[in-house]
Amino acid sequence: MSDIALSVSRPNEKPVRSAAGTLRTIQTVCIFIVALVIVSPLFLLAVASLKDDRFEILADMGSFRAFWVSNPTLNNFNEVGHFSGELAFGRYLFNSLVILVTTVCAGVIVNSMAGFVLAWGSVKGRAAILSVVIALYVIPQESIIMPLVVMVSRAGMTDTFAVQIVPWIASPLYIFLFYQFFAQLPKELLEAAQMDGASIFRIYRSIFLPLSLPAVATVSILMGIETWNQYLWPILVTQTDYARPIAVAIATFFGQDSIYWDRAMAASVLMMIPILGLYLAFQRWFVSSFVGSAVKG
Amino acid sequence: MNMQQSTLRSQAKRPAGGKSDRGRLLQEASMLAPAVVLLTLFLIVPFILSFWTAMTNQPLVPRPTPLRFIWFTNFVRIFRDDLFWTALWNVSRFTFWILPVQCGLAFATALLLHQKMPFRNLLRGMFFLPAITSMVVVCVIWGTLFQYPTGPFNQVLGFVSGGYIQPIDWLGDPEWAMFSIVLLSAWQAYGFQMIVYLAGLQGIPDELYDAARIDGANALQRFWHVTMPGLRPTHVFVLLITTIQAFKLYTQVAILTQGGPKSSTETVVHYMVRAGFEEQKMGYASAVSVILFVIVLIIALVQRQLLRRFDV
Repeated sequence: MSDIALSVSRPNEKPVRSAAGTLRTIQTVCIFIVALVIVSPLFLLAVASLKDDRFEILADMGSFRAFWVSNPTLNNFNEVGHFSGELAFGRYLFNSLVILVTTVCAGVIVNSMAGFVLAWGSVKGRAAILSVVIALYVIPQESIIMPLVVMVSRAGMTDTFAVQIVPWIASPLYIFLFYQFFAQLPKELLEAAQMDGASIFRIYRSIFLPLSLPAVATVSILMGIETWNQYLWPILVTQTDYARPIAVAIATFFGQDSIYWDRAMAASVLMMIPILGLYLAFQRWFVSSFVGSAVKG
Repeated sequence: MNMQQSTLRSQAKRPAGGKSDRGRLLQEASMLAPAVVLLTLFLIVPFILSFWTAMTNQPLVPRPTPLRFIWFTNFVRIFRDDLFWTALWNVSRFTFWILPVQCGLAFATALLLHQKMPFRNLLRGMFFLPAITSMVVVCVIWGTLFQYPTGPFNQVLGFVSGGYIQPIDWLGDPEWAMFSIVLLSAWQAYGFQMIVYLAGLQGIPDELYDAARIDGANALQRFWHVTMPGLRPTHVFVLLITTIQAFKLYTQVAILTQGGPKSSTETVVHYMVRAGFEEQKMGYASAVSVILFVIVLIIALVQRQLLRRFDV
């Protein structure tokens, strides 16, 4: 039936192609305008971070001057970019980067190994472990955070990098995403490698993991965004600058009587850059593979 | 969604076991071990502890007074606290608003981006940008957008209405504060739901559209009779994920309004954190977290039931 549909509808469409082309161009332009409106707050942020005076920033916000900076300056970035002292955003950014990179790398390794064994291993009780993992997905971070704070403070782990990294490495969602991806790959891959006498870890490392780049990209982006945006957990477990992430530091601008918008904007831009880089690096694989796996998950 | 199904699929694919030696099993176990140990330590143990702590008078820092098991006293106190009910009412209001705004935005943008057009990937990337923006940064930006009385929103409203609409104190007026939080939350989070919708749209076979075209269905009819039924599981998934997110509302409220003005943006999680850390009542806060878990669990079970009904 669909073949008939195609053969019937194709000839009809040809004569109107030029009209349809114009329509499509108009449509694309319209979508671009919508896209610009959607991202305009981010553009405002970038522009405002280059303005030196916080009162100017607020005054400009109400008009079209918000979209333009006549004498751009990097003063705000110089002001907040220190590595020690009151505005040590260089330090906070560094802390966040350490936490981000460690969590994502460890997370990809730990969760993909588990997902692989759950999909192709021969260990008994795999199905049971998988159903437990799926069930655990329901538990929200917010509802375990109270006892967890008590646990880590009894263990003397507060105010460390480890306390912000280790608890969030393993995650039911990412184990399941990897499991699902690996389970879709053909069984012959495993059998052929087993014939050659490769160990199960070897098979994972040199055959399945290299094939799972889309899954790695998806998990990296999702985990990266999640880690980068952590707010509740770090305010509960950090007290000093030592391991304080940039999100917590930016939030302290709001505690002041008069908000230093210029500094807050510059610090926010600093915070945007790494996650934007991560997103751009993996975006190619992310959209397609997320589109492939999202609804199934 | 199809978790059980895919479990079965892989079980069918699995090579016949039996001849696996001890070395292989040991290797598999050590590959599983990190995830199992971490999940146990940092998810299962605190989860079980939260039920126990909820029935004690545990403080945040150890005190000389002995820890007492007080059964359901914490829960009774919570249910007698008006502020808790205010918080629950506020998150329900938030959910009521965020569902149409955020899911509508996600659905509309997904429909726009699903069509074939030049620069499609660039456009998809642009529409996803807010979703990678940290909530803290979103608060910085929207904090200026909401400025009273001369912020951009007030200026635009005044201009469009010819000065008829008076400037609104978006975050300072109890009538408006929660709605303002809805706006910025929807902008920040719709990107994920948009991608889920794109996946759903991609899952509808082209043949269905062709068949509808043959039958003489116009664009609107195709949308109504092909796209919408095809997206039914996606709609359920998106609506319930958004509902669960909404009940966990915390960061933007903690930063921008601290639950105010006049408790109009107090949320369940904010209430829990305040009980645990400002009043140092860990047992009480754990009881709130148990209630939060029960709410999320109910939503998830409803989702599962609905999806089972729609699953083909």
